[in-house]
Amino acid sequence: MQGKVGVFVSIGIVMAEQVKKEQAVSGVPMVTATIDGREVTVPKGTTVLEAAREMGIHIPTFCWHPKLKSVGACRMCYVEIERMPKLQVSCATEVMEGMVIQTASEQVLQGRKAVIEFILLNHPLDCPTCDKGGECDLQNHTFAHAVDDSRYSFKKARYTDGTDGTTFDDKRLGPEIVLNRNRCILCYKCVRANKEAFGEYDLGVYERGNIAEINSAPGHEVDNPFSGNLVEICPVGALTNSDWRYKIRVWLTQTTSSICNMTSSGSNILFYKEKNHNKIYRVTSRMNDSIDDGWLPDVSRYGYQIATTEERLKTPLIKKDGKQVEATWDEAMTVIHNRFTEIAEKKGKVCLGGLASPYLDNDSLHSFNKLFRTVFKSNNIDFRSDYRMLPEGADSPYEMLVDQPFTIADIDDSDLIISFGSDLIREHPNEYLRMRKAYNFKRAKVVSINPYAVKSADIAELEVIHSIGRAETVLNGICLAAMEMGLVNNQDLTGKIAPATTAEAASDAGVTEDDLKEVARAISSAKKISFICGEMVSRSIARDTIASALWNLYLLFGFKDKGQMAILPRYANSRGAGSLGLLPSPSDGLRNTLSGLWGCFPESDPNNTDAMLALMRKEEISGFFIIGANPLMLYPDRQFVTDGLERLDFLVACDLFETDTTELADVVLPLSSWAEYDGDYVNLEGKVQHARQAIKPLYQSKPAYEIITMVAEKFGAPLFESIEACRKEVDELLSMTHSTKFPSQFLEVKPCYEDAEEEYPTPLLICDDPHHCGHRTEKSQSLSNFVSEAYIEMSPEKAEKLAVKDGESVRVESPVGKIVVPVRISDCIDNNVVLIPRNFASTQVTSLLMRKRRLDRVKITKVDE
Amino acid sequence: MMLSEESVKAIKERAGRYPHRKSAILPALTIACRQLGYVDETVYREISKIIRIPMVEVAEAATFYTMFPKAPRGKYLIQVCHNISCALLGADSLIGYLEQKLGITKGETTPDDLFTLISVECLGSCATAPMMQINEDYYENLTRQKVDDILQDLRSKA
Ligand code: SF4
Ligand code: FES
Ligand code: FES
Repeated sequence: MQGKVGVFVSIGIVMAEQVKKEQAVSGVPMVTATIDGREVTVPKGTTVLEAAREMGIHIPTFCWHPKLKSVGACRMCYVEIERMPKLQVSCATEVMEGMVIQTASEQVLQGRKAVIEFILLNHPLDCPTCDKGGECDLQNHTFAHAVDDSRYSFKKARYTDGTDGTTFDDKRLGPEIVLNRNRCILCYKCVRANKEAFGEYDLGVYERGNIAEINSAPGHEVDNPFSGNLVEICPVGALTNSDWRYKIRVWLTQTTSSICNMTSSGSNILFYKEKNHNKIYRVTSRMNDSIDDGWLPDVSRYGYQIATTEERLKTPLIKKDGKQVEATWDEAMTVIHNRFTEIAEKKGKVCLGGLASPYLDNDSLHSFNKLFRTVFKSNNIDFRSDYRMLPEGADSPYEMLVDQPFTIADIDDSDLIISFGSDLIREHPNEYLRMRKAYNFKRAKVVSINPYAVKSADIAELEVIHSIGRAETVLNGICLAAMEMGLVNNQDLTGKIAPATTAEAASDAGVTEDDLKEVARAISSAKKISFICGEMVSRSIARDTIASALWNLYLLFGFKDKGQMAILPRYANSRGAGSLGLLPSPSDGLRNTLSGLWGCFPESDPNNTDAMLALMRKEEISGFFIIGANPLMLYPDRQFVTDGLERLDFLVACDLFETDTTELADVVLPLSSWAEYDGDYVNLEGKVQHARQAIKPLYQSKPAYEIITMVAEKFGAPLFESIEACRKEVDELLSMTHSTKFPSQFLEVKPCYEDAEEEYPTPLLICDDPHHCGHRTEKSQSLSNFVSEAYIEMSPEKAEKLAVKDGESVRVESPVGKIVVPVRISDCIDNNVVLIPRNFASTQVTSLLMRKRRLDRVKITKVDE
Repeated sequence: MMLSEESVKAIKERAGRYPHRKSAILPALTIACRQLGYVDETVYREISKIIRIPMVEVAEAATFYTMFPKAPRGKYLIQVCHNISCALLGADSLIGYLEQKLGITKGETTPDDLFTLISVECLGSCATAPMMQINEDYYENLTRQKVDDILQDLRSKA
């Protein structure tokens, strides 16, 4: 079998697609060759394989992958090139001027046949029991080349570790992945993708020659958040996953093109459902170069199991004598109508509020909006349930930055990528991979400015780890450095920001002056920048201060002409919800369009999530309608939410399963997942993507749109004549020319620090586990195979100080709450910060938080058994 | 730490010589082998920490090269060439003789931990076949008498 040598020999021969793209525009020389008698002209650097593919000529491959550097390991892609004495591997041979290439000559076919015979030497040929059967490259190429004989009459070499000598050398590499080394053809795709594309080092190739083998890193599991891709790209059945293994044969399934509901970029996916049965079996990628590059984060791949879990809510529930009991939809609608009417009449003013989930599709969000504004005449409506103390107004520095245009594919050819207040791998896994790609293929400079070392250290040229809660000071410092070094001409900023010198800013922010200067230099010399801001900005109550500092940076360095800067929206349809005006007070433009469409718009006070919760406590909002959201688990002040929701007269909650929030509800309605109906979603770029229905709604669940329409009808106020009418309105809203706003001049930025408290010395950050997103994914079996309970992530130094080991429990206390969680020691975390994921209902981490705090601080003590 | 301070220092010094830290893997493994006589998972981890590269990269390189023993072995590693030129000139009987003299079979280590005997592919010294390598030295044009002398000599030095 091909040894590892091949890997070393041909690295570097290959031209990556990015490079190619760049050259085509920058007028790089073109070369002309003849492939199978047809002429083709391609930019210099294109491989023979790529050129052939562009012409629609199929060349079989095993080790080649469009998004990885070629290594020429398998030899399957042989072609014949005139005046070259031997067959050449097309995936690692560049097209040269005048080349005459045959892709299917007698000699080529003979060569490929020999390669297959060689690969099959020790292959178990256990196709009948192999999960890959029916979609296996080896099966297909063998079939296509009619290799039905072998000259090898010896006993095949076998890995039989831990089994009885059958071909089932099943070795579990991680929570999901199982390896069968007998089937492996050593194309190295898995290891290459893992290292090259994902920056993960939990898988390797060991030994060499015919005993070379793939395996996890010694002492490690393969459990990185992109590991599902390894199974998808394995050309044979060597890597399989628990999700799909031995469940169904692929030819009994049919696919539906859709998009994922877990990331805000909207990874393009394929659902596989059993023909004639209402059951999904898996999700694979549907390569979309402008969004996901064909890689799915595990949340996107395994997230579908939130639909297929047994734990789904199966019928409506109505609370009777303090207990929720099963009911029919009709009964539920009647109760909702009667109670809401009663409350409205009793209070005699607007006292209803609504909270929708940003995972819902446009039709659902728009109809929810219309229900509230036109039927309930209420401006108490929001979709953001996990940001504390959001200010109102579309023109705040923060909102303007949320609204900035951003193009995912532009990350590819940025020469400077800055992640600011964002742990990309947790928040935006697709963009995280893009950043790695830009680094790999174009040596883009990667800079991380965060309060802890987020995962990107291996590629980051500069990591500025600042004291937590000092984000705006770092930004001010960068601006000051640029002015002090004369990198920018504009000095208008002076006096608007504090402190006044780079040195002071550096010391306030806990960074070095050199770091600030270096970032300033990097920004001023970059040609194309992607400046990505995330949750640490959105979640902070200082979001407007930080955003103002970002705007100053934007203006000072003239970002308008050299790149993109945005606070990326977090959920599948956050952007859609904003664009459709699902906010208490939408922008004037939106408001006018909406009132034009509906003929009215309520005048009542606008209240966002935070304000609504406050009004519930005062019993001024008494009826509440939650659809898909789970504020109790996610809003960063659990007590505040509990107080509010418990004081309501009537709460309706719709979700896929029972949640902390539905437990408090008077009526619970079973919601369908996104896989169960057709819907449109607006991704973080503003691109509208269609998710097709893969299966019919499960149990008695209904899509949000239907539920909302039913409620409206019960109130005698049908919202739309048909769903088409709703879509027409949505289209009109989304097509509104969106004038992105900029501040016209520098903004004042006076840092607002919070003092440390002696009793609670450790800053706590709440985040998503890289295998989870929000409150729903813990119901996915595969995702919970990776992580199923909360933990507190801390640095080795911190753990040592507390005298705790990995896995031991600690008590985490804040002024308002207390939880017990196991410790996870991580090299990534430093700077005294600790992280706790918020994805697990069993650990009520939001009970530690207070809504009016900028920093959450805790005291950690070891739990003595 | 399995690696001595001296080895760590040597590895760091070597790592500083290359534009890519990764290039220091082989020198680091060599230094580790020189000190310990073999390398294993713990050593991979230590090396990966010293030169700051993922541990899997060290493990891959170490297992790719047969020259790095993966388990403790005798003070002297005897590698007899069993490839064609040596075979024609009696490598097989030489191995047999060594097995008999040392009282072990190929692949084993003597109870006093002095000698480990293995056979390997061509060592590139065909003109002086049959030959063997003990630790870093070649012993060529071997005869039984020469083998006796060599073993005697090594024993007395040990
Ligand atoms: S496990 Fe699959 S992807 Fe990995 S090297 Fe083997 S055949 Fe290739
Ligand atoms: S060598 Fe070209 S595809 Fe493997
Ligand atoms: S065959 Fe023994 S050294 Fe070459």
